Amino acid sequence: MKKEFLLLALALMAAPQLLAQSPKDAETDSIPDEHEGMDFTMTESQLGEDDDMTNDVIQVGSASNVYTSNINYTWSAARFKFRALDNKYNDVYLNGMQVNNAENGRFQFSNIGGINDATRNRDAVNPFEDNTFSMSSLGGSTNYDFRAGNMATGQKITLSGCNRNYTLRAMYSYGSGWTKKGWAVYGTVGYRWSNMGTAYVDGTFYNSLSYFLAIQKKWGEKHMLNLATWGNPTERAQQGASTDEAYWLANDRQYNPYWGYQDGKKRASRIVNDFAPSVLLTWDYKIKDDMKLVTSAFFKYQKYSSTKLNYNGTNPAPDYWKNFPSYYYDVWETGTGEKDYDAWKSAYDYWKSGPEARQIRFDDLYFANSQLNKSKSDAIYYIQNRHNDQMTVGLSSNFNWNIDKTSKLSAGLQLNTNTGYHYQTMKDLLGGEYFHNVNTYAIGTYPDTDPRVQYDLNNPNKRIHVGDRFGYDYNINVQKFNVYAQYSKDMGRAHSFITGRIGGSRMWRDGHMRNGLFADNSYGKSGVGSFLDGGFKMGSTVNLGKGHAVTMGVGLEAKAPNAKDAFINPEMCNDFVTNLKNQKLVSAELGYAINNSWLRLNLNGYFYHTYQGTEWQCYFDDNEASFTYVSMSNVTRNAYGVELGAKFKVTSNFDIVALGTYSDSKYIGETDVNYMLSNKGTMEYSRCYMDGVHEGGTPMAVASLALNYRVKGWFLNLTGNYYDRIFMSATPVTRLESVYELWYKNNYRNAYIDENGRYRCDDVSQARGNGGFMLDASIGKQFKVAKRPLSVNLQLCNLTNNRGITTGGYEQSRSNYSVGTDGTISGRTYNFEKNPKKYYAQGFNFMLNVNYRF
Amino acid sequence: MKKSNILFALVLGAVSFTSCMDEDWKTHEGIIDNPPYGNNKIAVAEGSKVMTIGQLKSQYASVISANGCQQITDDVQLQVAVNGNDQGGNIYKQLSVQDATGGIIVGINATDQFAFMPVGQKVLINLKGAYIGGYGQMAQIGALYNDGIGRMDLNDWKGRMRILTQPESADSVAAVADTVDFDGNMGTDKLCGRIVRLKDVTISGTGTQTLAPDDGSVPLTSNCANRDIKGALNSTKIVLRTSTFSDFATRAIPEGKVTIYGVCTAFRGTYQILMRTNSDLIEQ
Repeated sequence: MKKEFLLLALALMAAPQLLAQSPKDAETDSIPDEHEGMDFTMTESQLGEDDDMTNDVIQVGSASNVYTSNINYTWSAARFKFRALDNKYNDVYLNGMQVNNAENGRFQFSNIGGINDATRNRDAVNPFEDNTFSMSSLGGSTNYDFRAGNMATGQKITLSGCNRNYTLRAMYSYGSGWTKKGWAVYGTVGYRWSNMGTAYVDGTFYNSLSYFLAIQKKWGEKHMLNLATWGNPTERAQQGASTDEAYWLANDRQYNPYWGYQDGKKRASRIVNDFAPSVLLTWDYKIKDDMKLVTSAFFKYQKYSSTKLNYNGTNPAPDYWKNFPSYYYDVWETGTGEKDYDAWKSAYDYWKSGPEARQIRFDDLYFANSQLNKSKSDAIYYIQNRHNDQMTVGLSSNFNWNIDKTSKLSAGLQLNTNTGYHYQTMKDLLGGEYFHNVNTYAIGTYPDTDPRVQYDLNNPNKRIHVGDRFGYDYNINVQKFNVYAQYSKDMGRAHSFITGRIGGSRMWRDGHMRNGLFADNSYGKSGVGSFLDGGFKMGSTVNLGKGHAVTMGVGLEAKAPNAKDAFINPEMCNDFVTNLKNQKLVSAELGYAINNSWLRLNLNGYFYHTYQGTEWQCYFDDNEASFTYVSMSNVTRNAYGVELGAKFKVTSNFDIVALGTYSDSKYIGETDVNYMLSNKGTMEYSRCYMDGVHEGGTPMAVASLALNYRVKGWFLNLTGNYYDRIFMSATPVTRLESVYELWYKNNYRNAYIDENGRYRCDDVSQARGNGGFMLDASIGKQFKVAKRPLSVNLQLCNLTNNRGITTGGYEQSRSNYSVGTDGTISGRTYNFEKNPKKYYAQGFNFMLNVNYRF
Repeated sequence: MKKSNILFALVLGAVSFTSCMDEDWKTHEGIIDNPPYGNNKIAVAEGSKVMTIGQLKSQYASVISANGCQQITDDVQLQVAVNGNDQGGNIYKQLSVQDATGGIIVGINATDQFAFMPVGQKVLINLKGAYIGGYGQMAQIGALYNDGIGRMDLNDWKGRMRILTQPESADSVAAVADTVDFDGNMGTDKLCGRIVRLKDVTISGTGTQTLAPDDGSVPLTSNCANRDIKGALNSTKIVLRTSTFSDFATRAIPEGKVTIYGVCTAFRGTYQILMRTNSDLIEQ
């Protein structure tokens, strides 16, 4: 830790520093009109939409800082994560009501996708900025204003065409403005569409309708009531990550293994259906001119489901490891594998024989199930639908008081109760007649007549037909409260603030199936986990005069664990993970800012240290033929970085924006690991040596230069971006002490026993992705048609068609060897460690936007 | 407020109009008559181009008994029925097929083939280019592996076989014609690869033992446990061979007399009976 502090200090000294709390309105004109409509179009298709992709994008955007106000838009193509932070560290508020998902802490930006015109009014604050609604989170906070009266007045039509996740988009919005009787109405409706023939990624489609309606009423000067409701029923097919070998064989880095042919037609296997109708009622009470109270009540009922092709036979995934040529030939020359060139060639030729060979063969699956019908056997291929429905009720109240010209006080309360309905239904039996609700992984460990193989002892051996629930069915309940208070004051040249919060949360599981492996602790309610958390932040901006300022901030926080990480195996039992504690966060930031007639510059250095964290994941362990549920506790991470944003105003119509960051975020030391095997239901303890493992799925070094030119209603932009330091999300599988013990006993990969008697191995390195250069351009023009403004804008992204930049991915949680019953390991030819699953950035793509106001 | 009325109507209309993009997929006609698995282009041979398993085994008898391996160069075809597959997880990367003259093992480098190759299904196999050899002096069709007989690649298999007819019975015992009662006097040539019935036998193993535990209580070879079968079988050594990965590995050994159905195999003079599914072991 000391080293990082030293580095941070050095970095801060070497460069004139960081950021500033410059007046926000100074920046608003620097967001060119041409960005209108783009801010979300660039990112919305990537924000939290894909469970299998990195969905950690954060919408920072404090306009007070050149860096944060530009990076979302500019770096979204590479899935840049602000400060390498998970989205759960970014708090999102709507009219003062915090709406992050109660179970995982994340805000699903797709829930407000497609209503771009309604989400323009927002107050985004950086981690160390005071504000009117919160103690800003580690990754900043954003408060959207959903009041009808604050929306743009008039009508607007937007039409867009692009070759991305969707192909066409149309939006219409209307705002009445305030009527004489004190009413305001605002609404927008949009549709985004692509089919399998037009979507950028083969085998995907996008079908999304969005609506937003708000009505506001004013009574005198003191009271206003606003009712807003929105939602976007969306159906979309997902893209899956695959290995470089698959991309090479398919000659396409956007190769998507999640679809296949059925009777000659393309069919997607992973389809997400998502609809989260929401209602927000807000009462604005102006107590006095300098004192106001904003109170909001929120209700949301989200129906979310995601299909997946599952099997109890041969894995039907076209990119299943045994289908690859390198399954037969030791292409890595590790010396342990086979070298069967004929088989390699045969597999290679098969992959190259056409798209049918590289995709799911649905006809085979129907054939297999039809055959099994005859022997009255269960279907072995089926499409399951995993549901994650959420019902949220919330209440918030925020009080703001401008005590005098130099001091402000704000305080607020959040109450939230959430029920998550988690269950799995049978979507399609693919020609099969039925399926029994039994745990096929446990058969073998136990005879098929053993009650322990039942998923639901209350309905043993239930035959599952299409639409029936099977496998798991449980609710997660979360109740939360949070209060905060903030005081800010101008003293001489300094503006300073201090803010603190206290919160509490309770969580429990309620099982609707009595799982055979956990007959006594799976049905009904679990115990209740209760956590009290809180923290404080303080910061200061010192005006050095002549447009120079220094900013600084520190924060300490204890953060309650998320329900998502709190249960060891919620699909099967009520048990909480062991060692569940509040995560502790220490953070600091130092900045320097220049703001004069030709230059706006922000240079920031930050550091954060988190400890006693809990992380949870699950993967298939082929040596145990079982799903393994892994809870890592006592997780420690350090992160630091420098961030630069500079805008040079060369002439009145030409400016240059430079952005850059160099950062790191990594695990420190070892973590405790408790894991459970789903075929036995037993818990095991081990350690995980995660020391030095970097946060995956984001570039951690980025530099970009943008040229912006405006003339006679034209707007031209050219931006070059360079991305680097991209790591793959790491698996614990190759870092567990229990695994190193196995390696040591087999004299494998230089595993050894250290001075403390622990099994270690230093041979494992984290998989990395490729960085690279990307060039984007944008051209726009505003016309007058019937005296009303018509804007046309064309964005051209990745002009050099660089398809080699990794945007995310993960190490596979499987081993390079199999383990015999006597504990001896034998090497496999296929090398999982050298085959991480990756996503790559799209090649050249464009978007044409036309909007007309009237 | 007229414009807002239009807006509300628009939103309401749009919400009620949303339709689903994913199709309502159904099994399409002809999937059974024209199976997507195998090579439907292979013509069904007649006359001298069709070989029986008995003829094949006798033609390559010396290769088989020497544990050798030889490529088949004649353009000949087997027309056989599947009698054993990997449904119960006991037979691994193999199929067994039989006709009226005997049975033979086919090594295929793939798992979970049972749904495509159910017991009782008739298939033809183009032999040209495939290998035949002996493993433990038992005949097997497959590919060359370390100078001996090994498993053929799945794509190779799919390219040289064609599904002819579907099983006539759902029952894996009834689906196989010509099941014989095991009699050691018949010899390995006649018995291996066939489904045999062993009546009124007992399985060794005492107390609470299971068929194939992996707790070290019984020695394992290739993850399989061998349990002696006792009865009037005219054979000195015969075992029930069960994989620890099979679905019935944890089944308790019945104490009394049983009837066993299974694929008869042999390894260096010992008969090894492989159950296919749990229902192949019937307690009397």
